[in-house]
Amino acid sequence: MEETILKLQQVTKVYGNGVVANRDVNVDFQKGEIHSICGENGAGKSTLMKMIFGIEKPSSGTITYKGQQVHFKNSMDAIKAGIGMVHQHFMLIPSFSVVDNIILGDEPKKGVFINKTEAIKKCQQLSDKYNFELDVTQKVSELSVAKRQKVEILKTLYRDAELIILDEPTSVLTPQETEKLFVQLRSFKEQGKTIIFISHKLEEVKQISDRITVLRSGVTKGTYTNEELSIKELTRLIIDRDIENDMDCFKKDSSIKGNGLEVRNLTMKHNGKNILDNVSFTVKNGEILGIAGVEGNGQVELVKSIVGLNESEYSGSIMVNGVDVSKLSVKQRRNEGLAYIPEDRMGDGTSSELPIYDNIISTYFDREDINGKILMNTNAIDQKSNELIETFAVRCKDNKATISSLSGGNIQKVVVAREYETKPSVMVAEQPTHGIDIGSAEFVHHKLIELRNNGSAVLLVSADLNEVMNLSDRIIVMFEGHVAGYFKDANSVTDHQLGMYMLGASRQSAEEIEGALND
Amino acid sequence: MTKKKSFDKKNLSITNERVFSAVKILISILIALIITFIVLCFISEQPLNAIMTIMFGPLKKARYIGIVIEKTIPYAFAGLAACLLFKAGFFNLGCEGIFIISGVSVAAVAINEKLAIAGLQPILCILAAGITGGILMLIPAFLKAKFNTNEMVLSLMLNSLYAGIAAYLVRTFMLTTTTSTVGSKNYMATAQIGYIFEKFHISACFFLLIAVMIVLEIVMNKTKLGYQIRLSGTNKKFAEYSGINSFKLSMVVNFLAGVLAGVGSACHLLTQTSFYIPSVSVVGIGFSGLLMSMLGKNDPIATVIATFFYQYLQEGASVLYYTDKSVPSEIIAVVVGIVVLLISSQHFLRKYREKKLLKEGLAEHD
Repeated sequence: MEETILKLQQVTKVYGNGVVANRDVNVDFQKGEIHSICGENGAGKSTLMKMIFGIEKPSSGTITYKGQQVHFKNSMDAIKAGIGMVHQHFMLIPSFSVVDNIILGDEPKKGVFINKTEAIKKCQQLSDKYNFELDVTQKVSELSVAKRQKVEILKTLYRDAELIILDEPTSVLTPQETEKLFVQLRSFKEQGKTIIFISHKLEEVKQISDRITVLRSGVTKGTYTNEELSIKELTRLIIDRDIENDMDCFKKDSSIKGNGLEVRNLTMKHNGKNILDNVSFTVKNGEILGIAGVEGNGQVELVKSIVGLNESEYSGSIMVNGVDVSKLSVKQRRNEGLAYIPEDRMGDGTSSELPIYDNIISTYFDREDINGKILMNTNAIDQKSNELIETFAVRCKDNKATISSLSGGNIQKVVVAREYETKPSVMVAEQPTHGIDIGSAEFVHHKLIELRNNGSAVLLVSADLNEVMNLSDRIIVMFEGHVAGYFKDANSVTDHQLGMYMLGASRQSAEEIEGALND
Repeated sequence: MTKKKSFDKKNLSITNERVFSAVKILISILIALIITFIVLCFISEQPLNAIMTIMFGPLKKARYIGIVIEKTIPYAFAGLAACLLFKAGFFNLGCEGIFIISGVSVAAVAINEKLAIAGLQPILCILAAGITGGILMLIPAFLKAKFNTNEMVLSLMLNSLYAGIAAYLVRTFMLTTTTSTVGSKNYMATAQIGYIFEKFHISACFFLLIAVMIVLEIVMNKTKLGYQIRLSGTNKKFAEYSGINSFKLSMVVNFLAGVLAGVGSACHLLTQTSFYIPSVSVVGIGFSGLLMSMLGKNDPIATVIATFFYQYLQEGASVLYYTDKSVPSEIIAVVVGIVVLLISSQHFLRKYREKKLLKEGLAEHD
């Protein structure tokens, strides 16, 4: 006998800036099912989840939870009612222990004091019950990303959540870790808990879901059982067209030879620990070199060093087209032909309050064609931004729309358009499709391939293994600051092989790794 | 045809950001005046007369308007300096100290007999004050950029420091012997800036202010420098990522802000005073500039208009005080306080606007 735990009826949400995020959404969640929500970024998934979790209030429509209409004032109400949410970006305090993080806000008390023994006991029991293999007295800062995610899940379980929302839980995990997570999710299901699973990775959605609801432009495109849909059909529902996953057919040999980017013996220490450990590799013109690895294994520092935003001391050389740029400023490096798509598009890649036309010229605003001798050439900027908006299919009201009014995918398109416009000879793409929709991601991938085909050297850093494997010509894997593995042919490596190196379970010899520099 | 019509309508509707701002300011002022009137009912015997005098008193005589404009000038310069700093994302509160210390430069040039050349001396005074202000403003900016010190704390400390140094310099090198205050000797007659419109008591400084305001408006909105200020002020990391040299930008912006403060100080001293008293002459103007900039939302033209509005009400209260001694002129602080509160409130009128947006947003998708 199926039992509906949560039901949304005619839910509509209009934001303060006039954006309609959800419109007449009807969906129901059964007790004990794993229910995936799919859709492009900006399709309204996050808003829908925020309304369920009490962070946002629906503009109209009703939410019925366990047979009663609810009006959550904030997330505390939702948590009390038994709804838990694991956010894409973890909400943990790194300097606290696992226990402290879990009990925060709901501490077992002994008089006015926190009953620490009781708390530890309770949390450890909970962790053991679900085979989480956690030492709850450890500090969160010492944990791996996968374990941190477990802490987040434990947090919801500790509060007796019956409905758990997981927002892009696998985006930070290796294939092995994802499998483990799925085992756990299935065990939750057996316990009668309901899981709402949000992911851009459709293979995973197919693998884990009982039912799937598709959102497009804030409207539901229906709820289907897993068996009803193939990945292809699912894709078509999400973006309204077919998609080509294998990028190899687009690749062409470039006539430009030589090394675009050459990194030699890059080493960076922090508190006596090697953040970067003798990293060497080259990116040839007309190729994409992929760097795989779990987040936090030195990729960020590596990229920051290459583009000139690393403020810490490091040694080694970074050559762009044969020029050592390791002592140059960001501007000078850009003048040497470097472009950079940053991981944090809101923090580094755009200024959210400013309009598109300001954002889309920031890295070349002093170029002659858009900048008169004294005044900026407003007409030229207008024209250039409109042209880029059109070429890169940025969905927006007009070029005066602020970045904050755009969806993630469209913001990323603005960033890519801007970096592409400088006709870079070396493109550093850091998590270029992280958290953006399939349609935009495909677009970004095509643009990167286009750059490659035109003879640019593209360095792709990504935690998404499929992305690395589909786009790259050669692959290196980073683990704890060093190059743990090098694969000359991206097509002949499996995700499980890469996963072994990403987790540090395997490591190649120095000679093998040297191929990254010399091949 | 219908398309054009709906477009116009949309531009004027509350959902337009600019229209919304304007409506918000007008309603804020209205509410502030109503509250002031209620307060006046308690303290004045003729509250209606009192509020009318505050609102329209300055219009009674041409000279009153002149006073409003003359008082507007230094405050507006302080406001413009703050605009520049805030827009670029610097919380440097050093304008107060700059006003006081550049007064010393003004006085030093103005009392110098050798420089007593008509027409030239005031210009030299203004230049000296501007350069002093610009250079001294670099201190907190430099330390911030190089050592990441807290510019707010540092600039506040420097304000006190500059006041002390100014007092020392005046007492040691230019002390007047005719009165007992710590003030400078009288300026040379050639240093004083006279009135261009005798009837209104408006000096050339007024035109300087207007010119500076227009230039600043253009610089902030249309030039490369303004673009960098915008980028850096809204997201410093993004500016650095884009290759903007934030150290250089910080130096330029702080220097310019210092120059504006110095010039403001000179304009005030050469029109409103005949000798310089560090502890009195320009005290409080630099801080008021922060308020002016807030009222004007860091926009140069809006800041000057806000300053005028502020001084207008201030003058209205002064006019009232001639006839009705029961109303202290500090009543204006109530008006301005409420206006600032309402304008800076993110929530005020937001609900109303959201309702409209909801309707519009839904209509658009139908």
